[in-house]
Amino acid sequence: MRVDAIALQLRPRTMAEAADLGVLLVQRHVRSLARTWAPVYAAVALLALATIELGAWVPGLVIFWCKPWLDRTILFVLSRAVFGDATSAADLWRQRRSIWRGDLLRTLTLRRLSPWRSYTQPVAQLEGQSGAARRRRRAQLLRGRRGAAAGVHAVYAHVELVLVTGVLALAVWLAPEGSHRSVLAWLGRGGTLSNGLVISATYAAIVLVLEPFYVASGFAMYLNRRVELEAWDVEQEFRRALA
Amino acid sequence: MALDTLYQAETPEGIALALRPAGLVARAQAWAIDFGIRLGLFFVISLVAGIAGGLGAAFLLIAYFLLEWFYPVVFELGRGGATPGKQALGLQVVMDSGLPVTVAASVVRNLLRAADFLPFLYAAGAMALLLRHDFKRLGDLAAGTLVVYRETVRLHGALPEAPPVAPARLLSGAEQAAIVAWAGRGTRLTPERFEELAQLARPVAGLPAGARGADLTRRLLGVAHWVLGHREAQR
Repeated sequence: MRVDAIALQLRPRTMAEAADLGVLLVQRHVRSLARTWAPVYAAVALLALATIELGAWVPGLVIFWCKPWLDRTILFVLSRAVFGDATSAADLWRQRRSIWRGDLLRTLTLRRLSPWRSYTQPVAQLEGQSGAARRRRRAQLLRGRRGAAAGVHAVYAHVELVLVTGVLALAVWLAPEGSHRSVLAWLGRGGTLSNGLVISATYAAIVLVLEPFYVASGFAMYLNRRVELEAWDVEQEFRRALA
Repeated sequence: MALDTLYQAETPEGIALALRPAGLVARAQAWAIDFGIRLGLFFVISLVAGIAGGLGAAFLLIAYFLLEWFYPVVFELGRGGATPGKQALGLQVVMDSGLPVTVAASVVRNLLRAADFLPFLYAAGAMALLLRHDFKRLGDLAAGTLVVYRETVRLHGALPEAPPVAPARLLSGAEQAAIVAWAGRGTRLTPERFEELAQLARPVAGLPAGARGADLTRRLLGVAHWVLGHREAQR
């Protein structure tokens, strides 16, 4: 771990400001994410949409439930992006065992219920901690930062809801003159195959866009916590200025 | 070039200012607080207006109009340059030149909230905050304003006591800043970590390679005091 090789300017930030840095990290490395995260997610989303006949709500639930597992792919890309490295599909494939199989049971159960999972995700995935050591480490990261971490999670959950509703609202608006009311009524009428598919596909598309920002914000907050706890910004300055 | 959230603004005198624009998370939370306050105000006003009958209804509509459009303007032009929600989050609205926000800019950015609101509950504004480097929503773009963090986070405490020592060589500005930053963290870090960081700055302390860690820490703390202009008391 070479702190001086981190291609982010580390300095003490509030948790919200650190989350902003995560947004910039995604903007900078959108190509890497398009090469790796997009195809992986597209495969899962298509499989999820194929379950539409079981019920209109099933595809959405499958995607929602798989998010902690999907996040592992994003965090892998971002953990390289932090050092300025691009990631190709081949890099992802080489690490597929640790990314996709590691910690699988916990990822699909307990982590799904965590209200700050993107903030604590690096402890399990990047630090490779397990058992009591992981619990201690997580408690240390969360001490005094629980509210901030949950706040970021809540913001992204609401933004996701707003964007899904926004895209559907746009569809209603752009409907032909005079048919707004019937389009709205069609979207609101639950249970039919076609409107379930439209709503699920919209949700899937928004998750594709928004999930990297969420994971990156949590990751940047994690880095910010290490600035607080271990003075990584001072180490970065020392290694750059004095070495 | 290391990634940072800073926004470079230049004053008419040619001085570069680094502003720290605020993004989605802080601003969404600030909006939620403001929305709660507006809702509370509207509730109180409608209670009062309910007693007054028909005239009350007219009064209520005017109050709703003013709350919706001018609540942010009034607060942004006040002392703090921010609505109560933004103040709670430590945010402030400024011009993107770093100057205080003007009346025209404040009105424009708040009129264009209607555009950011589309198509549903600030979806356009949220996308702008996610896709732009400087976290400007449409209203900010039109008005040339920026929402910034007002205060920097300080992890510094008081420097631990140590006799001032001259460094082993001349230090550049960045080196001096790094050493003072290190010393200021002394009360916050574990002694082991503090010493580990001191090892990185060994060349500056001018101690032989075999010196003990505690001596090195003490010597470097002395250098930090020296950099800050403290000198041994004259006898």
